[in-house]
Amino acid sequence: MRIILAEDNDILRKSLSFFLESKGFEVDHFSDGKDALEAIEKNNYDLILTDINMPGISGMEITQYVRETINSDVPIIILTSSGVEQTELDSFDIGANEFIAKPISPAVLLVRINKLLKIKA
Amino acid sequence: MTPKFPIPDNELQRLAALKRYNILDTLPDHAFDDATKLVSYICGVPIAHISFIDESRQWFKSEIGIGVSEVPREISFCKYTIMESKMVEINDTFLNERFKDDPNVTGGFKVRFYAGVPLTTPDGFNIGTICAIDHVTKTLDENQRNALSIVAKHVISQLEVQTKNIELAAQKKIAERAVLAKDSFLANMSHEIRTPLNAIIGFTDLLAQTELDETQRDYIDSVQIAGENLLLIVNDILDLSKIESGNLTIDSEPFNLKKTLKHVYNLLKVKAHKEVEFNLFLDADMPDMVIGDQGRLNQILVNLIGNALKFTVEGDVTVSVKKVDETEDHYSLRFSVKDTGIGIPEDKLKTIFERFTQAEESTTRKFGGTGLGLNIVKQLVELQKSEIQVKSKEGRGSEFSFVLSYKKGDAKVDSVKTISKNDLGNLKILLCEDNVLNQKLAKSVVQNFGFELDIAENGEEGIELLTTNKYDLVLMDLQMPIKDGYQTTEYIRNEMKLDIPIIAMTAHSLVGEQERCYKVGMNAYVPKPFKQAVLLKAIKTVMSEDSDHGRRRIIDFSILDEMACGSPDFRKEMIDLFIEKIPSQTAQLEEAFKNEEHDTVKKLAHNMKSSLDIFMLSDLTNCLSIIEEEASFGEFTSESEDKIKILHCGIEETVKILKEL
Repeated sequence: MRIILAEDNDILRKSLSFFLESKGFEVDHFSDGKDALEAIEKNNYDLILTDINMPGISGMEITQYVRETINSDVPIIILTSSGVEQTELDSFDIGANEFIAKPISPAVLLVRINKLLKIKA
Repeated sequence: MTPKFPIPDNELQRLAALKRYNILDTLPDHAFDDATKLVSYICGVPIAHISFIDESRQWFKSEIGIGVSEVPREISFCKYTIMESKMVEINDTFLNERFKDDPNVTGGFKVRFYAGVPLTTPDGFNIGTICAIDHVTKTLDENQRNALSIVAKHVISQLEVQTKNIELAAQKKIAERAVLAKDSFLANMSHEIRTPLNAIIGFTDLLAQTELDETQRDYIDSVQIAGENLLLIVNDILDLSKIESGNLTIDSEPFNLKKTLKHVYNLLKVKAHKEVEFNLFLDADMPDMVIGDQGRLNQILVNLIGNALKFTVEGDVTVSVKKVDETEDHYSLRFSVKDTGIGIPEDKLKTIFERFTQAEESTTRKFGGTGLGLNIVKQLVELQKSEIQVKSKEGRGSEFSFVLSYKKGDAKVDSVKTISKNDLGNLKILLCEDNVLNQKLAKSVVQNFGFELDIAENGEEGIELLTTNKYDLVLMDLQMPIKDGYQTTEYIRNEMKLDIPIIAMTAHSLVGEQERCYKVGMNAYVPKPFKQAVLLKAIKTVMSEDSDHGRRRIIDFSILDEMACGSPDFRKEMIDLFIEKIPSQTAQLEEAFKNEEHDTVKKLAHNMKSSLDIFMLSDLTNCLSIIEEEASFGEFTSESEDKIKILHCGIEETVKILKEL
């Protein structure tokens, strides 16, 4: 299973990709929304995992682009810092499948990913 | 509508059997991929797969040369194979009536050769197939056919093992939960018992210090002994639960061995029967000071000697300690407890160390005891990497012995200061405690020390008193109504911003409780029933401590460890990254804050939060949230200024701790 991860915080991005790779996923990770979107256009990912606030293009824009322009229904999980970004409803509106508030529990993330990929734990 | 494929007679049971394995839509698995490769090698074919067939589709667990994850059941070749009990081999599909016009023969996958073996569960259901497929005609030889059947069997056993493993894991979880429930039950019971016991022992202690006539003295002595015995039993049960859950650790502290032995001897002398000679023999060249666990040695000896004295009505009980070996930095000492008591029958020698067994059923009635003592002794000796030996003859007596290895201690540590109270001056102490008996007890003890004491019934009252009066120290019970000890401490530290020393006092002996106390900002921990000396020592320690030393941050690595999936290298890499990045980001944040660059502050604060989350520094993350919020309003207040300062100190402290790792 191939996952793309867009997150601009180094420590979080590296931790998440290490964690997901340890769990058997193939992970491409980007710190810039624009690079991430280019990779999405070029490759076939099974799931998109994106932060909201990023330099270049935001996670919301990525989601919108994937749904409306590429017309793909690939599962999308949006990562948010709760409180400041009141984005839960917006995320669903534009077609995200899940949103996860930071701080992210690795176990919860894995369950959500598996659920979206219809993998039984 | 009738489906376009044949349905086995046992279809419903077959589907149920398939479901049991939980295999559909799972991630790829090496074991199955290897089996598929094997099929392709053995049969020399470009296409091979392991698949499972449910109501409507054929799902490929593993495949070579197919490139899709599932196909509708009606177009699958294997819909026929699962109707069979043996291998189906079609050497040339062009010559086969059933297949010659199939779209996947004339086009599609261009199947010319097909060999499929049904995957049959141990209870006889064909849940799927293992297949070899080629674009040219082919005939398998006998070896290839056999090999294919063997691989099929292997795949099914692999499935069985995986399912059993999942079941086992589930059972394990249930068992672990049960253990947890038991542990917390024991901890709670011990709390309930030890709270009143604390009062009984403490007041008896105080009463014994008053003027009494002979009869009263005698009564008080009896109460004291009974109370202490009861405490021993409760502690036995607690110890056992701790040993079992692996939470009992062996201390490594310098202590005076001779003094310890003499103390045990004096303590137990009173229990010897009149006709029994009770001796303590110490080897002449035995060391005074050693490094090890004094408390556990004490416990082992009290148990063994207590038993010896109990079961010996005449003759002697001899405790001897001998140095058997000495290296550059270690002593090996042999401890022996020998008696001339009732002895143990030979067939019982093995079982006496088991829990709740005594040599005779009638022992409990005649001699009392919980039947836990020897089991604890055995485990305590084993925890110190040794073994307990027993020799005994019925009617003649017994000898228990073991050899412990102690690190050599420094002789000068011996001059432990005797606890004196006058060098602390007159302290004003606040006690938060809801139990009236414990209040009274603590009051007498603290006043004995020469300190002043105010009492709050609960945390909220304590906070009120703290705001109106000035105290030097807080004694904090953990279990209180309205606000418990943890909540109260958090409030004192985080809201009132007081760094007044707080000592936790608790009858709980829950695992991890001590850590939790330090984590919320308490400075010391005294278990109840408390000994006067222990409490005074704790008071002295916190009063002489630097305030920043006492409230050291404890970093919670659980999220990082979860992410690291057991890789120490990755863990270290992230810690190094934190040390490298965060302090400079903090400096940038402070700079931008000074220059009122709201946008930069907002972005930096937001980004840093994710880093701090990984190290679970939630207090500092909260600071960043407030800073970020004010930044997005475009106006900083004194609150942000405060938080920037707290953040600065917190990061400095965290980095220092991380560097020391």
